[in-house]
Amino acid sequence: MSERTLWQEFKKGLIEQNPLLKLMVGLCSALAVSTRVENGIFMGLAVTFVLTCSNVIISSIRKQIPREIRIPVFIVVIASFVTIVDLSMRAYFPAVYERLGVWIPLIVVNCIILARAESFASKNRVSFAVMDGLGLGVGYTMVLLIMGVIRELFGTGKIVIFDKTLISLGSYNPPLILIMFPGAFLTFGFLLALLNRHEMRKKK
Amino acid sequence: MSEAYRYFLIFIGALIVYNILLVRFIALCPFFGVSTSVETSIGMAMSVLFVMTMATTVCWVAWNYILEPLGVGEFLYIPTFILIIASLVQFVEVVLKKVSPPLYRAMGIYLPLITTNCAVLAAATEAVKPGFLKLNVPYNFTFPEALVYTIGVAIGFGLVIVIFACIRERLETSPIPHAFRGAPIAFICAALLSLAFMGFSTLLGL
Repeated sequence: MSERTLWQEFKKGLIEQNPLLKLMVGLCSALAVSTRVENGIFMGLAVTFVLTCSNVIISSIRKQIPREIRIPVFIVVIASFVTIVDLSMRAYFPAVYERLGVWIPLIVVNCIILARAESFASKNRVSFAVMDGLGLGVGYTMVLLIMGVIRELFGTGKIVIFDKTLISLGSYNPPLILIMFPGAFLTFGFLLALLNRHEMRKKK
Repeated sequence: MSEAYRYFLIFIGALIVYNILLVRFIALCPFFGVSTSVETSIGMAMSVLFVMTMATTVCWVAWNYILEPLGVGEFLYIPTFILIIASLVQFVEVVLKKVSPPLYRAMGIYLPLITTNCAVLAAATEAVKPGFLKLNVPYNFTFPEALVYTIGVAIGFGLVIVIFACIRERLETSPIPHAFRGAPIAFICAALLSLAFMGFSTLLGL
């Protein structure tokens, strides 16, 4: 374990162990909120925050947790951080909270967080756990943003963040399907296929 | 709107119009994980129906008789509900093992998976806690309505997961471009299936 550096722990979450593209966990929230870039930013931040904090706490008390009841302990730790996010987002960004709706409480059962608690944080040092949480969080946010950009730009013809139009395609007749729910499956399926293709090329 | 008609709307709304998997993307992980064969999907669907109905009932009691009277619901509902679900799943597992071994053999392996199945928490939270959109309208359920909603959601989950398992069994023998093999083609199929469900989107509203 000593040969791994903190940077490696961070970097692996981006592509090699990307929670969405590689581990295929936490898909539900990713597909649902990726209709807009703005949602992706907030959801990514929320998940990164909860993931990093719960990793730190679980990693620092890992020697005190009895093996039999570890899952309830993990869930309580995660649920407390989700409550923090839930209440602060409702207080400071009520409009975004309204749109994300039930997805914020659902971070508790987001498989990414429980999976990392179980397979990484409960076995590793605090410093590694922090980098692991940050790396996977950034990887998750990255995919969310890519999908958000594709779906919002081509589905509505422009990207709007905080009521400011960033990019506009001008007069453009957008295919509604991208912004509707089948678009999420389509975009994600093609992203996966692209990644597969890229990896097959590299092997040759 | 008559009473019976409203129940019907809630049921169909939860079952098809706002189908939990294809329209709302809740519980996709078990969806793609379990739907590889028809048999396992039926087992999963049955266990979800069972646990979800019980979870909503218990969460309803906890919210209306404990959390709400004490005024702590707003910030304690997440830990409470998830702990209720987690312990309920354990409880169901133990009881089933003792009471009905054949049923336990059929459902047993899916039960631990259900704890992290977001559908259960989502259905319970939406059905019980005021303040979330229900079927896309602000509305507060009474207890029978919450129950009907939960059963609709659970059957919707089962329906789609079984349909999808049938499609995936066919896919195994089909020629598929190399880059699309495995997960990507499953997503494309899910997109087509949800395109079909999009046709129901203006069917009826609450």
